[in-house]
Amino acid sequence: MNAPTDLRARPMAADVDAVVGSLRRDFAERAVTTSAVREQHGHGEGLADAGVPDVVVFPHTNEEVAGIVRLCHAARVPVIAFGVGTSLEGHVAALYGGVCIDLSQMNRTLEVNAEDLDCRVQAGVTREQVNADLKGTGLFFPIDPGANATIGGMASTRASGTNAVRYGTMRENVLGLTVVTADGRIVKTGGRARKSSAGYDLTRLFVGSEGTLGIITEIQLRLYGIPEAISAAVCQFSDLKSAVDSVITAMQLGLPVARIELLDALQMQACISYSKLEGFEAKPTLLFEFHGTEAGVREQAETMQSIAQDQGGSAFQWATQPEDRSRLWKARHNAYYAALALAPGRHAFSTDACVPISRLTDCLLETRADLDAVGLLAPIVGHVGDGNFHVLVLYDPASVEERAKAEGIAHRVSMRAIAMGGTCTGEHGIGVHKLDALVAEHGEAVELMRTIKRAFDPLNIMNPGKTVPL
Amino acid sequence: MLDPVVHAQLAAILPPEALLTAAEDTKPYECDGLTLFREVPVAVVLPETEAQVVAILKACHIARLPVVARGAGTSLSGGSTPDRNGIVLSLAKFRRIIAIDALARTAVVQPGVRNLAISEAAAAYGLYYAPDPSSQIACSIGGNVAENAGGVHCLKYGLTVHNVRRVRGVLITGDVVEFGGDSLDSAGYDLLALVHGSEGLLAVITEITVKLTPKPLLAQVALAAFADVEAAGAAVGAIIGAGIIPAGLEMMDQAATRAVEQFVHANYPLDAAAVLLVESDGTPEEVAAEMAEIRRVLTASGATEIRVSKDEPQRLLYWSGRKAAFPAVGRLSPDYYCIDGTIPRKALPRVLRAIAAWSEEFGLPCANVFHAGDGNLHPLILFDANMPGHSEKTMEFGDRILELCIEVGGTITGEHGVGLEKLNGMCVQFEAAELERFHGVKAAFDPLGLLNPGKAIPLLQRCAEMGRMHVHHGALPHPDLPRF
Repeated sequence: MNAPTDLRARPMAADVDAVVGSLRRDFAERAVTTSAVREQHGHGEGLADAGVPDVVVFPHTNEEVAGIVRLCHAARVPVIAFGVGTSLEGHVAALYGGVCIDLSQMNRTLEVNAEDLDCRVQAGVTREQVNADLKGTGLFFPIDPGANATIGGMASTRASGTNAVRYGTMRENVLGLTVVTADGRIVKTGGRARKSSAGYDLTRLFVGSEGTLGIITEIQLRLYGIPEAISAAVCQFSDLKSAVDSVITAMQLGLPVARIELLDALQMQACISYSKLEGFEAKPTLLFEFHGTEAGVREQAETMQSIAQDQGGSAFQWATQPEDRSRLWKARHNAYYAALALAPGRHAFSTDACVPISRLTDCLLETRADLDAVGLLAPIVGHVGDGNFHVLVLYDPASVEERAKAEGIAHRVSMRAIAMGGTCTGEHGIGVHKLDALVAEHGEAVELMRTIKRAFDPLNIMNPGKTVPL
Repeated sequence: MLDPVVHAQLAAILPPEALLTAAEDTKPYECDGLTLFREVPVAVVLPETEAQVVAILKACHIARLPVVARGAGTSLSGGSTPDRNGIVLSLAKFRRIIAIDALARTAVVQPGVRNLAISEAAAAYGLYYAPDPSSQIACSIGGNVAENAGGVHCLKYGLTVHNVRRVRGVLITGDVVEFGGDSLDSAGYDLLALVHGSEGLLAVITEITVKLTPKPLLAQVALAAFADVEAAGAAVGAIIGAGIIPAGLEMMDQAATRAVEQFVHANYPLDAAAVLLVESDGTPEEVAAEMAEIRRVLTASGATEIRVSKDEPQRLLYWSGRKAAFPAVGRLSPDYYCIDGTIPRKALPRVLRAIAAWSEEFGLPCANVFHAGDGNLHPLILFDANMPGHSEKTMEFGDRILELCIEVGGTITGEHGVGLEKLNGMCVQFEAAELERFHGVKAAFDPLGLLNPGKAIPLLQRCAEMGRMHVHHGALPHPDLPRF
């Protein structure tokens, strides 16, 4: 596990050429070097910093992925895994060129074990596809980050989403993995047993490692029974504090609400006009979803309603029909596009802080004041049940000054959360944008992460420059 | 013998009563709950502050002296068996509950605090700490983190790793590191998960922030009798398959119920081949709805009798037999050997069938109690170490069970850890590529291998030399302590 003497991130051109030639021979039309495809694979969503890979390969099997990695390992050429490119923190940018492994054609659900409440999928299966493949089993996979991301990408970034408050994040819902290591070997971690105290928890180490320790090719997922009853409700408040305080009270009581989403007044205004929502005002708003038995859902909703009323919340507006619910959640999922429509021509990027629920009101109010002082349009949405919120900062991409202001906001949001005992990323990950915040958050522990990176990837070929750069 | 230079250094860090070197003082630390392995350390240190832990580890690091951290000493796998050339660092004096934050539903505790003491302290706020290993009256929370302990309620509420927010620990170099954080997520690699189940090989834990769970308004347990063990195993899968996650889902076979009945008089149906205990908790409406569904599934799965607890004393009585199963079985037989294999629930009937056949083949009775919902088996093989050949047969029986657990996609240890006991089993369960990653993790934290050497992760050559799996056995001290 000695550190190599030369960790050059940029490979030699001749080595890259040799790898590309070899991949084109082996993969024929599944190794693509056209500039359109390479550029499309050089960035996710979010801030527009890109790095273009030298070749994009579309493997179909674990063995093919292992073969590609072995080739890159021998030539010391970077390897970047790619799902569908919905990452927000620049995870897929090929900062030093290299080989992009697009896993979207590894898109089969391999097994569904209804009695064990689990299934095994290839990394390129998307969140929506998992649930389509589970149709008729009475089961579902709850993690929902909004975007129709791949399960491999969600595992790599430890994604969560709107119902993490009830079902946890990818951390709690990945039972095992198949991973291709930096030297091109295939390793199976974890398994189907619900608990194991044998060996270190490599599964959770790979979950959230953003492709820097290995490439996830298969995932064993935990599943849940589709609840007997689901209902959704909307409640509006005169100010942000009352809305957030309601959430804190509900969490303190341990009310098992499946989703609690906050939209601030500006975001609500954006959603009303973008998604043509009727009967709502541009006020701080909470969206709730309750899962359980008929009686349980009714009981939860009544408790939530009385908590909200104590804080001056409006009467609940119900969405019990599936169509009404999906319209409401579609409006929430389109919050990003709704925000963009507030100021056509501007770009947006999202912050991702998460704080202990007891500090959420303070953090949101300080952040709102900061945003108002800077003067950029910046709506706030939040998975507030778990203390995670996003500021969508709108800026003019042509203005250096505005981009600097926007980045300043993002930096301060991260640092504010860390100072309150929280984290700079609840679900989007570190990528290339939060390297400094990671150090502020974890201090000494980052050095340990770096040593682990060196042990797992001594040649520094796995997504170099991201998360924990060497 | 403790090196005189190190002795002087430790004596400068600790008061005299916190540095034990005389044989009569160190002997009590020679083993943990797995008494088969005994080693006397060169010294035992009992620090009281994190600064003392830092100074001790720095001194040991410089002197290249092995350090074995120890909580309550209830490990069942030899996780805290001393190293004969090293010291034992006992965290027994770290027993303060530092803070309880009812709003955030967390408690900050020191590692020597007993598991149950956290729930007792949180009770005033209507909260409790959910993971409940059966030894919770004695085991410490630091040891729970080190072993990633489970318990009856883990099916619904998760293992230790799901119920801890933050761990503060000291590396062998003396550097203080925090893993995780106060919010629900934490950036970067998941070091918090790595520390869970690391069996004292990565860091010495000095402080833990645990999550607290609101106490349910109501809990009820259903006791269901089955005419054969396989049907009971299939009922477990049917309950989970119906989308019900009970607060507890435990199983005992006839050998176990007959043993405990004499002990606790819980009025178990003794003619049943197996009994399931299924707990539901929540609001009264939720419990009523879930219990109705549980009854329906149990009946459809062939339960011959179903009783639901009418009040709290009756609920506790139904559970008392399960919690006392080990001491009860201990009274039936001079020796018993407990297995900790865990399997996918779907494989339960197959594995139970195999255990029954082997029990007959070896002529050794086997009582089965287990966390059925998690698929975590605790077969208890009854034997008499004084009978020629019994110990060998017992070991072979145990080996076969664990090999079958791995074959059906399970693991050799669900909650007791590897320690010294299951090092060889690790060679069977994991391939070289994965073991190499384990060593990479260890080297990142402790490149000299001073923290708890020789435990948990076998050297690659050990696995290469091993022809087949061989699992040792041992008897338990404190036979009356409820376990598993």
